[in-house]
Amino acid sequence: MSSRPALDPALLSHLISAQRLEDRRGRRGSGIASLDRLLGGGWPRASLCELIGRRSSGRTAILYAALARAIAAGEAAALVDVGGGLDPRRAFAAGIALRRLLWVRCAADVAAKAADLVLGAGGFDLIALDLGDERPRLPAAGWIRFKHGAEKQGTTVLVAAPARAAGSCAAAVVQLGPGAPRFVADGAPLFDGLQAEATKGRGAHEHGPESEEARCASLAFSCRS
Amino acid sequence: MRIACVFVPQLALQAVLRRTPEARGGPVAVLEAGTNKAKRVARVTEISPEARRAGVRAGMTGAQAAAVSAGLRLLTVTAADREAASAALADVGYAFAAAIERGDADRIFFDSEDLARLYPAGETAIAQAVQAVAARVGLGVRVAIAASKGVARLATRAHELALIPTAAGPARAALASIPVELLAEGEPDLAAAFRRWGLRAAGDVAALPIDAVGLRLGLAGARAGRLARGIDDEPFVPRLPDDALEEAIELDYPVAELEPFSFVLRGLIDRALTRLRERSLACAGLTVRLELDPRGVDVRAVPIAAPTGDAATLLQLARLDLARRPPAAPIVGVRLLALPARVRATQLDILRPAGPAPDRLAATIARLAALVGPDNVGAPTVEDTWREEGVAVTPFEPARPDDGPLSLTLSPLRGARANGGGDPRAANETDEPRLTIRRRRPPEEIEVLLNRQGPVAFRGRETTARVLIAAGPYRLSGEWWREGEHFSREYWDVHASDGAVYRVHQNKRDGRWYLDGYYD
Repeated sequence: MSSRPALDPALLSHLISAQRLEDRRGRRGSGIASLDRLLGGGWPRASLCELIGRRSSGRTAILYAALARAIAAGEAAALVDVGGGLDPRRAFAAGIALRRLLWVRCAADVAAKAADLVLGAGGFDLIALDLGDERPRLPAAGWIRFKHGAEKQGTTVLVAAPARAAGSCAAAVVQLGPGAPRFVADGAPLFDGLQAEATKGRGAHEHGPESEEARCASLAFSCRS
Repeated sequence: MRIACVFVPQLALQAVLRRTPEARGGPVAVLEAGTNKAKRVARVTEISPEARRAGVRAGMTGAQAAAVSAGLRLLTVTAADREAASAALADVGYAFAAAIERGDADRIFFDSEDLARLYPAGETAIAQAVQAVAARVGLGVRVAIAASKGVARLATRAHELALIPTAAGPARAALASIPVELLAEGEPDLAAAFRRWGLRAAGDVAALPIDAVGLRLGLAGARAGRLARGIDDEPFVPRLPDDALEEAIELDYPVAELEPFSFVLRGLIDRALTRLRERSLACAGLTVRLELDPRGVDVRAVPIAAPTGDAATLLQLARLDLARRPPAAPIVGVRLLALPARVRATQLDILRPAGPAPDRLAATIARLAALVGPDNVGAPTVEDTWREEGVAVTPFEPARPDDGPLSLTLSPLRGARANGGGDPRAANETDEPRLTIRRRRPPEEIEVLLNRQGPVAFRGRETTARVLIAAGPYRLSGEWWREGEHFSREYWDVHASDGAVYRVHQNKRDGRWYLDGYYD
């Protein structure tokens, strides 16, 4: 077996692991304490992240929590919304200062282009790309472009979709299980909220073994206004 | 006061060269038909230096000029070309002064005294800066700065760049070498009289007593005598810029296709934006006036979401508008009106993130509007209605450094009027985030199977499911005070067999069911 040549110590001192690089960039709070614990501090900054979940899994609530948190911190945030599913009353109730949110409602075929335009403008700290029920159809080169754009602009691009697509371009991935709705059955039933399991998927910068408990978290979503 | 005069020699030639920039640097002649019936044959009126070197002279017919110079380009000038060049010249003035006086079509005046603070190197630097700005809008100009309009005008006739001192003695000396033909330009009889008297230059005229010259040659002679001494009392009457900026072109032949017309439009937009940029402005509105063949006019306002200086964006917006509503006939002329606006400048705050740069943001919003439509870009807001699905779009404003603590604006009637800011407390970390409804817009009509308790199954375009739990009904009605707007609905939250919780409603006025969206 041939031994690998040792790296020049001078060169070695300049190398930095992907994990350390991400730690250096920092994390942004997701707005949800249990999700922050799962992600080790929140969504990574200057990265492409994926949030995967089916209908009624709490995916949109997590997206809005991140947007609300960013806007409250004085950061610029944008939502590229396929189908225009945003409910302004409930988004406001979730803490989003609507006047400070750049909202782009569009069809699925131009969503990536719209997000790319916002990313290219620079200065946005968080861009949420909500694909709704549409499966992402962007080629691999498109995700690489998003990844590099996010790194260059210092933006977190958070893609919410029903299925994974960004592959190794995503620095963090959270997969939501099917939500279990809660009804208050005092006389006539009343929808109260839902419970969902969040699992941390393998992101590009995550290495090393992690226990199953550390990779999962239970999230509760409330319907009460 | 110091008055700068900016003069465009050979305005017709420069106007056609702005329209056809590819002809620059080559032999070009402007061909114009005379108004007199006997002189209706088109003749060369203005020529480029290259054409002059090739032997082309003013007064030749087109055939004669072409025979002298093989590579000569004969171009005709239109009123639109002249107007656009003249307006561009005015913009050069507005790049340096808040108000200017537009003398003739080829000349402007502005007060240059205050510019000394911006150009400490002196008036030469001011004049050179004016020439540089004019070159950027496609005009080669002569600049003279003097104590009065008449003296500055006279100096531009003779020199590319002239600085005439304010004091009478040095001013007279600076003007002394100007030929009497230029001193009496536009009055050939006066120039001939000076020649008869043996006067060759302005210095010779200045040496004569003004009263005596006036007695013999009238008011014009007296004025020429005063000008030659550097004395002028013509008032300076400046005015503010027009609200809109115009660029126009008349086409040689009708254009019916969008693609070739885009090239024409691109040239106009480029020229308009260059002029706006020189005044540190962006375009906030665009009106395109199309002249149709054989007659008729098509005027259309192109909506722009935010002021921008990006030519590609404006062209895309104009193209989209033309593609959506094609003109009824081929186009033979275009007039572009660009509404100037300042791009908002911001003062950064050390404690807040910088956010997007205002000019880049404006360009991005305009490009997004071109991509998805202007009604689909902006900040969402609650529409003034009781209907759950109501949403409107307002202009997006990124957080400003002077923003105080964001405040929650609640309406006692509607719960949340989200036109104001948000409550930062609401955005703190929570362990139980709020669910939202991902809405279908417009609500999708569905078929619903009912029993006494409520919905038991439903079928829509994409979703067919059994209802496991149905919570409701929640009745909502309103807007009976509006003609034809009255609604009365019963809402249900249904847990369906596909695992999702949907929001559905029945319109009680016609009994139809709709899927509003799902909780997520």
